[in-house]
Amino acid sequence: MCDQSVFEIFHSELVNYVIQNNETQLKNTSKTHGEDLSNLEYIGFSTGFRIIERLTRELPRFRDELDTMKFICTDFWSAIYMKQIDNLRTNHQGIYVLQDNCFRYLSKLSNTKQYLDLSPRYVTFTCGLLRGSLANLGIRSIVTAEVQTMPSCKFHIQVQRN
Amino acid sequence: MSRASNRFDTKKVNSELVTLTYGALVAQMVKDAENTDDVSKQLERLGYNMGVRLIEDFLAKTGTGRCMDLKDTADKIQSAFKMYLGVQPNVANWSPGGDEFSFILDTNPLTDLVELPDDLKNLKYCNIICGVIRGALEMVQLDVQSWIVQDQLKGDQNTEIRVKFIRRLEDAMPAGED
Amino acid sequence: MTVHNIYIFNKNGNLLYYHEWNRLKQTGMTREEEAKLMYGMLFSIKSFVNKISPVDPKDGFLYYKTSKYTLHYFETLTGLKFVLNTDINAQGVRELLQEIYNQVYVEYVVKNPLLNLSEPIESEIFKAKLDALVKQSPVFLSRVP
Repeated sequence: MCDQSVFEIFHSELVNYVIQNNETQLKNTSKTHGEDLSNLEYIGFSTGFRIIERLTRELPRFRDELDTMKFICTDFWSAIYMKQIDNLRTNHQGIYVLQDNCFRYLSKLSNTKQYLDLSPRYVTFTCGLLRGSLANLGIRSIVTAEVQTMPSCKFHIQVQRN
Repeated sequence: MSRASNRFDTKKVNSELVTLTYGALVAQMVKDAENTDDVSKQLERLGYNMGVRLIEDFLAKTGTGRCMDLKDTADKIQSAFKMYLGVQPNVANWSPGGDEFSFILDTNPLTDLVELPDDLKNLKYCNIICGVIRGALEMVQLDVQSWIVQDQLKGDQNTEIRVKFIRRLEDAMPAGED
Repeated sequence: MTVHNIYIFNKNGNLLYYHEWNRLKQTGMTREEEAKLMYGMLFSIKSFVNKISPVDPKDGFLYYKTSKYTLHYFETLTGLKFVLNTDINAQGVRELLQEIYNQVYVEYVVKNPLLNLSEPIESEIFKAKLDALVKQSPVFLSRVP
């Protein structure tokens, strides 16, 4: 038995650390703009970059970009979030939308509009995780998340072609 | 999206996820902090915050009853290591007074794939574990200290985490009563 | 059968949560005063039960009963205190309290990083999950006697 709760609780503390550290930095420089979650995204990026390496080492190469995305939605997502992505859409021009109807790090927070303004904190690590994983598979991208009603979340992946 | 497959050993993936994310966090902390001691302290505090929550999960999942003595407590923490970190440390090196003991880990998933550069040799990389133990035990009314005695990252054979019992905490009295 | 109301206290006696379903009579006190009175009683009865026990008290205080209602008490090792008032025929309330702790408190309070564990619980999803769990329990049948 190895337990998911550890990572869930660790992830929360990771978020807290980044936010508290920002606050101390902001105090020192007396700036007052919105929450800067870029460090959190970067921690996700380096984690994703390294973990995908280990996950795909023994797998055959992916046929194409779509094949890679399908892998991310199924095997990758269920290995990490214990469920698959519920819906994958693409315009076939480098934009992919991955929808998780019950995203793990939001599922305990709310199923209403409550705390909606704080939801970016709990999806940013995963944006980085996706960007890092794809980067190591040779796909440069920008990943953002859209939350309208928790615990549902859409991850938008924009592939950078050049 | 019908494939309900699980191509991966989720247990292993999760353990790697913890290892890698933890590594990335420590790297970020090193960037943010003035010195290594601050990072060690922050890791302990982060562990403490995790411990106060993790203990509730542990109690709910295991239905554990109150510990008879410190030996019993050590055994329960040992099983928590197994449950949450996937490794089972040995409980050893009891003090003659029975108020201090160690967990000895042959392998430590947290330090898998990790090597400390020379300028971080003083970093207590695994301090988070000490923090978790302190936070979790405080919630069940045990005030303890916990620290790292041996560290594989510093070339020791094992990782040894020491726990010292300080005192039992009492239930708070209702306001206005003595 | 019916469930009247629930109180959840933390280890320091702060009221974290209160909710009522079929409560037919109010005390006339503020919720704060009522909670203080309740916690004081729990504290005393607990220590009394343990002190006076002619055998090893083991679980200690579990419930008390009047001709009209039963007060069920469940305390975790971390000092959280769950109090549920039901009618006198309610069965399996201890299991229900354990479920409230395992499935609702641990999942929606402990694992919600936005909640401070020593402050009153203001999460809507916690409230909804607790309400659902209580209402689907056989102990709850909203027919008021």
